[in-house]
Amino acid sequence: MTRFFLRTLLARIRAGKSLYLLTVGGVALGVASVLCIQIINQNSLAAFVGSVKAVSGDADFSIFGRTPTLREEIFPEVLAEAGVAVAWPLYRVDVSLAADPETFLEVVGIDLFAAAQMPLKPVRSDPEGGEHGKPSRSPADPQSGSLDAVLARAMTTTGWVAVTPAMATEMGWQEGDTVRVSSGSRTAELIVGALVDFQAYAPLASRKLAVMDIAQVQGLLGQPGRLHQIDVRLAPDAVLDEVTSRLLERLGPTVRVVTPEQREQDAAGLLASFRLNLTALSLISLFVGIFLVYSSVQASLVRQRAEFGLIRSLGASTRQVLALILAEAVLLGLVGTVIGLPLGYWVATRNVHVVSATLSNIYLLQEIDSLRLSATLYLLAVVIGIGGALAGAALPAVDISRRDTHSLLAAFTLHERTRHVTVRLAVTAVALALITLGWFLVWGRDVRWSGFLLAFMTMVALPLLTPLFIRLFCGWLPVSGIGFAYSLKNLMLRLQTTAVALAALAVAVSMLVGITLLIGSFRSTLETWIEGSVRADVYITTQSWVRGGQEAVLESALLDSLRADPAVESSEWLRQLRVQTGERWINFAGLAMDHRQPRYRRPLLVGEIHEVFRRLRQQGAVLISEPLARKESLAVGDSLAVVTPAGVTHLAIAGISYDYSNESGSALVHLSTLERLFGPGPVNNLALYLHPGEDVEKVVDRFRARFRHWPLVIRSNQRLRTDILDIFDQTFAITRILQAMALLIATSGISLTLIILARERVAELALYRSLGALRRQIFRIFLGEGLGLGLLGLGLGLAGGTTLAAILIFLINRAYFGWTIRPAWPGGALLQEMVTILAAAVLASIYPAVRASRTPARELSREDL
Amino acid sequence: MGQDILEFHDVTKTFAQAGRQDLVALHEVSFRISEGAIVAIVGRSGSGKSTLLHLAAGIDLPSAGRVVLDGLDLATLSERSRTLLRRENIGLVFQFFHLLPHLSVRENVALPAWIAGNPDRSIDYRISELLNRVELSDRSNDAVQKLSGGEMQRVAICRALLRKPRLVLADEPTGSLDDDNSRRVMDLLLHLARQEGSTLIYVTHSRQLAGLADQVWQLHSGMLEMS
Repeated sequence: MTRFFLRTLLARIRAGKSLYLLTVGGVALGVASVLCIQIINQNSLAAFVGSVKAVSGDADFSIFGRTPTLREEIFPEVLAEAGVAVAWPLYRVDVSLAADPETFLEVVGIDLFAAAQMPLKPVRSDPEGGEHGKPSRSPADPQSGSLDAVLARAMTTTGWVAVTPAMATEMGWQEGDTVRVSSGSRTAELIVGALVDFQAYAPLASRKLAVMDIAQVQGLLGQPGRLHQIDVRLAPDAVLDEVTSRLLERLGPTVRVVTPEQREQDAAGLLASFRLNLTALSLISLFVGIFLVYSSVQASLVRQRAEFGLIRSLGASTRQVLALILAEAVLLGLVGTVIGLPLGYWVATRNVHVVSATLSNIYLLQEIDSLRLSATLYLLAVVIGIGGALAGAALPAVDISRRDTHSLLAAFTLHERTRHVTVRLAVTAVALALITLGWFLVWGRDVRWSGFLLAFMTMVALPLLTPLFIRLFCGWLPVSGIGFAYSLKNLMLRLQTTAVALAALAVAVSMLVGITLLIGSFRSTLETWIEGSVRADVYITTQSWVRGGQEAVLESALLDSLRADPAVESSEWLRQLRVQTGERWINFAGLAMDHRQPRYRRPLLVGEIHEVFRRLRQQGAVLISEPLARKESLAVGDSLAVVTPAGVTHLAIAGISYDYSNESGSALVHLSTLERLFGPGPVNNLALYLHPGEDVEKVVDRFRARFRHWPLVIRSNQRLRTDILDIFDQTFAITRILQAMALLIATSGISLTLIILARERVAELALYRSLGALRRQIFRIFLGEGLGLGLLGLGLGLAGGTTLAAILIFLINRAYFGWTIRPAWPGGALLQEMVTILAAAVLASIYPAVRASRTPARELSREDL
Repeated sequence: MGQDILEFHDVTKTFAQAGRQDLVALHEVSFRISEGAIVAIVGRSGSGKSTLLHLAAGIDLPSAGRVVLDGLDLATLSERSRTLLRRENIGLVFQFFHLLPHLSVRENVALPAWIAGNPDRSIDYRISELLNRVELSDRSNDAVQKLSGGEMQRVAICRALLRKPRLVLADEPTGSLDDDNSRRVMDLLLHLARQEGSTLIYVTHSRQLAGLADQVWQLHSGMLEMS
């Protein structure tokens, strides 16, 4: 049988090149779609893990504060603990480069003489030229390159910093160069003291990692006497749990002890929703690809039925026939995987920057520097490719293999069978939908993943409804010529082929429309939120704010100077910290203002804004964000437990606000409350309200000129709004890629279907030709069929997409992100998509239409019209 | 008889065969057919009868020689022109009827008009008239699968005659029918062709049916013998 398979395979491929090509393309795109997301997902965590490894090395655990920083005094206490072999303190700050404010260095301050350290072996450019200055390890130079010499310089040179060779190459730095950086409104000049290849030690560590002496970081860029982290390595005989328990008891509730594995789990938890949603979307492309395989295998089997009848009559068993068919599917899947793997990697590489920006901006995690394809991803690609191909081939394969020899040798039409089961399929779809809906209404409301189940059932029900939809839509059409109505009628006549293509298109369009409605609604909600929240005329923060967060502070003299400007009528200033409530890290902000009432116009989700702000000011209450309220099940009247240096403090919740700035949650108190809890400190942001009649843009320009030597970001109200929406659009950029891939697969399905139809209908087309039909008339019939598929796909997809959007907006989004999104109908975007879909359908029809139009009239000698 | 509508001048048609000598389907065939003539061509399977009809209809081109339809050398015409010439001048009847199963009786008859872009109302009367003449007016809205073989071929004849072609080519029109139906269908085809003034060339195995024509020609191994 193997010999038969191999001998006939080549002949089949030769006879149906386009068919196989499109099928392999569909599998490849499905694999690429899932793989690209999984590569990005895995590497987003790997980047974090790489940085942990590069910074913490082989530490057994790390000690962090539950408050923004740790007191330096606890370091000797950690060292003194029995079982601790080595410990080293770290101070971390992200600084912005003056030469390129969008680029950050992740500066880690370490104790350079601690017994266990980061891999501070310098790497230097080859003085003989080497390969374009590519860093290479050089033997230790006893005069200048030895570790001791490097450490000595690091301690004695102000601003000494070790950077990665990759970063040095990218920025054109050489040892001895001065690099101007800023943290908040503070600037410092760093001197590139050594090139250290952290990535050789931890391959996925960020190229932006930089190392300095801890005292210098604290003094130049941070807070003296404070630490962010203490890494600990255990003595050989120490037991991890025992040591950590004793340390927690000794250091109190304001610290936490975490192993590298726990840190990875924390980061994974932080990204879970983001990753899950991307994975779900990418699976839709695979789902659409499976339809393509189904369609192609079915067409191929119909053509080979006589061949199967012959081998059955010669004694082949049902199982052997099934194996033959599935072996071909596996081969298709394998070829699709081989193409899909590099394609997925390429798509991931091309789009990693947008996801990386989201990780950095929204989740405050490390950017993804480089992408690695792990063995598990290779395996995943193979499983997806072959599994998808087998899933698509299974039904037609079982159907053909079960037929007896007689029926295989006799001609049969698939389409008649489909016509008979259309109602049954539709009833199944409705039953599935009703059962799922019933489950949801009775038991599923509080089940977090219920939205995904409903979305999945929608995607399953839609294809089942497709044959009936085609019959209902095309069945009543009066035909009085070979125009568009004739093309539509043709779709109904070949249901088993056309329904599969339409189902694939409907699923893809549903995804397209669903996501567009979600994004459109989200954007519209965000615009409304911005309208109510961004009310000041001028916003001032620092260049390092985006990454530096709480460390990026504005010096008070600068703050006073800005507020005292004659153009300024009043102002608000805000200090933000990252604090813990329970096990959740949230943004905890303190706000003060020199006008009596808040200028916000946004309604709160719960509470009246003036009353809430009165309670914030007078009673030390807190306003929490909607995601925090939903995820921690908090309500007005409850209290928010915040970990402060003095221990856990409970703040009364006065209101709940809409907040789309982050999904982990945020809380707002009056600045005086924050200072009471965390001590006084500089603020991070300033908002200025100008006197009526002041030209905002002119004031912004004047401020920029006046403070040009300061690392400030001074934005007008309008500019800030634009920047927020740009970040929003960037967050969804990867989603657009997935939408495009699903649509590409679906339109390939249209091509595939029409090619199949052109082959199945050779005699019919030849009849048209013999009756005097011109090539262009045949071409138009097929183009009409492609357009018809596009229109029907659009109709079904709009219905499915609207359902999907409702599920995404009201269930999945609320359960996983906690945001209220008001449904909106982005007419322009939808119209653009509809035109794109129809254009894609027409384009996909051109090649099959050309092929069909070339059918010669002499083909009519066949008997099987 | 009027002027010649179809002329074959030393027409040879060969088909390439992989690894074997070319197959000669027609060998230096020459004839002229006047307008209104009714010609039967008889011959065994593989004698080149269908090839001759394909060449006459402009569906295929000769390997050598000339096929002239209504004064036009088909080899000098583009594929598009040949198609238009066929659409306007030729009606085809096939052995296996070649009716479209998804169209009704009436719609099958209307197909050439649809292809020619004739509006429905202009052909409604003509279709009714033809169906009436073949005694199928009461079946006009039926699906063609419901018809018997003889009825199907009558529908196919109506389709061929719909646009009043000057030349009707029938390739074994009774090949799929029993004897009774064969005679009935053939009588009908001849009668309608004569009524319409169309030239008719039909291919048949049956000497008896061939005898109904004005002239009977025989094809033998690609060579034409005129009796």
